[in-house]
Amino acid sequence: MALTRSELAKYPFVFDAAEEVKRLDLDISNLENPNLKTIVDRAFNRIEEALATDPPRVSYRPGDEDKEIPSFPVAIILASATNNDYIKRRYALAEAVRAYDLLQFEDEKKIVEVVKVFNWKLRIHKQPVGYRRYDFALFFTDFLRNAEVFHEDEWKLVNRIMVNGEVFLNKREAARLIQEEVRKRIEKRFSIDVRQMLPESILQRVDDLSKKYADRISRARYIPFPKEVVNEAFPPCIQIFYGSAKTGTHISHLGRFTLTSFLLNINMKPEDIVNLFRASADFNERMTKYQVEHISGDRGSRTKYRSPTCETLKTHALCPGPDELCKTIRSPLRYYAKKTRMLKR
Amino acid sequence: MDNQTFIQQKFAEFYEENASKIEAPSSISQREFGFMVFKENVMVRHKRFGTADALKTFIKESAPAHAYHSTAYYETPEAKMEDKGWLGADLYFDIDADHIATKCKEIHDSWTCKDCGFAGKGQPDVCPSCGSKRFDQRIWPCDECLDSAKKETIKLVEMLMEEFGFSSNEVAVSFSGHRGYHVHVTNEVIRELDAGARKEIVDYITGTGLNVSFFSSAVGAFRSSPETPVYALNDVGWRGRIVKGAYEFLSSATLKNLIDLGIKEKRANEIVLNKEAILNSWKREGPWRPVRGVGKEELRTIIDHVIGVQSVKIDTMVTTDIHRLIRLPNTLHGKTGWLKVSFPFSHIDIFDPFKSAVAFKKGTVNIYVEESPKFRIGDEWFGEYKKQKVELPTAAAIFVLCKDSASLVE
Repeated sequence: MALTRSELAKYPFVFDAAEEVKRLDLDISNLENPNLKTIVDRAFNRIEEALATDPPRVSYRPGDEDKEIPSFPVAIILASATNNDYIKRRYALAEAVRAYDLLQFEDEKKIVEVVKVFNWKLRIHKQPVGYRRYDFALFFTDFLRNAEVFHEDEWKLVNRIMVNGEVFLNKREAARLIQEEVRKRIEKRFSIDVRQMLPESILQRVDDLSKKYADRISRARYIPFPKEVVNEAFPPCIQIFYGSAKTGTHISHLGRFTLTSFLLNINMKPEDIVNLFRASADFNERMTKYQVEHISGDRGSRTKYRSPTCETLKTHALCPGPDELCKTIRSPLRYYAKKTRMLKR
Repeated sequence: MDNQTFIQQKFAEFYEENASKIEAPSSISQREFGFMVFKENVMVRHKRFGTADALKTFIKESAPAHAYHSTAYYETPEAKMEDKGWLGADLYFDIDADHIATKCKEIHDSWTCKDCGFAGKGQPDVCPSCGSKRFDQRIWPCDECLDSAKKETIKLVEMLMEEFGFSSNEVAVSFSGHRGYHVHVTNEVIRELDAGARKEIVDYITGTGLNVSFFSSAVGAFRSSPETPVYALNDVGWRGRIVKGAYEFLSSATLKNLIDLGIKEKRANEIVLNKEAILNSWKREGPWRPVRGVGKEELRTIIDHVIGVQSVKIDTMVTTDIHRLIRLPNTLHGKTGWLKVSFPFSHIDIFDPFKSAVAFKKGTVNIYVEESPKFRIGDEWFGEYKKQKVELPTAAAIFVLCKDSASLVE
């Protein structure tokens, strides 16, 4: 069962964009062509909708396939040209949410057809499993690749029914996983070097759009930690690691990594961190210094490591159990950010 | 001759004859190899071998204390960590008696406080003499340790086959050569899973984040008819595991068992008195709703206990680490002189690590044993020994020497 053109307009991400681009002579440098104006306008409009709505959503316009299908790849090019991560992420999410909304009204066969392009092992499954009924069975690796970023309990594999490698889903859940797959795929399609290929007038419109939403973009930026370390704002896990380091009690490798990356992120000086580990029975100054510098990104891969999340600490049995504030955050660093602000007030 | 030179000599003799049996991993040229060399006691990493023969020759010539390969596949395995080009990794599980609470540790494991020199048996949290938390530990494997690890391995493999759907020929089981078992999933579908996805697999196996209230809420909606049980003993996955586990636990639970879990005596008494009625209701509905005798709190306590029993005690770091080095099968373990040996899962019940992993089968060695608990090699028992000279079969002597609890008598 192939998808019709009106279905392609609903789910343009399944479409072989190259073919459509060829059909319309949609050369990047040719976007000024007046014949393409309505397509380009709708492409800009797609991005603008993503920025103006919350949660972000691109609208669905039935009956306008000739504009709806090609405006999708064009919008990806335009979003790339903004060179702005916020706009790009927001646009990808808005297209994905649109797909989620639409998929929930499709019948199961259509959904299976749409995901063919992802190579998922998805099949319709209506028989009850363990006394419950579902709509689909999805191979667990396809499930994990998308569900691992969701934080709700119901998306943890351990809380799913899985038999023979298949996770059972209802239609809403399948649509939610597809949303995530679409989001990731769009983000992968953003390329870096489109600006030099775009005509001047189009670039001008891209920059105007970025400027229009500039204040929104800066608001989404990240709030820095205080310059001085505030020990009272440490979450329970860090308090334990910190105490253990000071008394020289054995800390697991991940515990040491968590403590070090946490302290580096909250602006503790590397030499102070090295000193903290001095009480450890097997302390080796050269080695400790090397490791701290590695985690800080001054050595090796040059990436400054973020501190592990609460989820990771739970997996490795390093979470001592949450306090009230823990229940509102997902990582020790967020805890610290919140607590320092609370203490300030 | 010092202990280490002797052990290395014996390792070299062993590899001279047996290096050909080393099991090289698949796609060998995409793997990183690492070796712990005797003398310097350092790890040589980032080695690459084009063929299995080259690997075997290297081990034969260098006779390392430990030999490892990466679970990962790399574009350039010999490059620095950040330049290797990760292509994927096999899925590995490590079950080690260290992660399982067994009573035998009180008998064969010992420690010395690094601060005050006080010594004792078991694995303490703090030194009872000075309160320090820094210890030198001497850890020994025994039948009880390895049996408990074996039980965990069986639980794990059953989960991997029934729930994850891997077939028996995609799941390779081996004895680690020390205190546990390795389980290796070779199916290609898992190769590209990132650390986050592997973490979810670990959470499934260990029952971490299991939300019982989620299982028990809103179930009515899925019920096809009032006669259909919502939960039953033959339910699938974790739900079935909890129902079965809770049912089995309560069937055989004594008053003391319940109190040991932390249930108040009065309530525990009530549960024992109402046992039949409770079990009958659990048979129909599963242990999710309070019934007479078992309130919300007691239910939670029992279910938490069941999750603890049913979950598999794996080393969570090994499975989530996508750059891990893991011991090569049919190489010697430098802390025991035993082999890491693979065997078919269908043989696990009869597999005897103290027999199958024995590498040194000829001759005897005179050693002076500082201290050693009773141990078994093959069908023979040895020890315990304390500050005494003994002549032991080579395998037993090397074991105690590798444990650093004896010295060679020339």
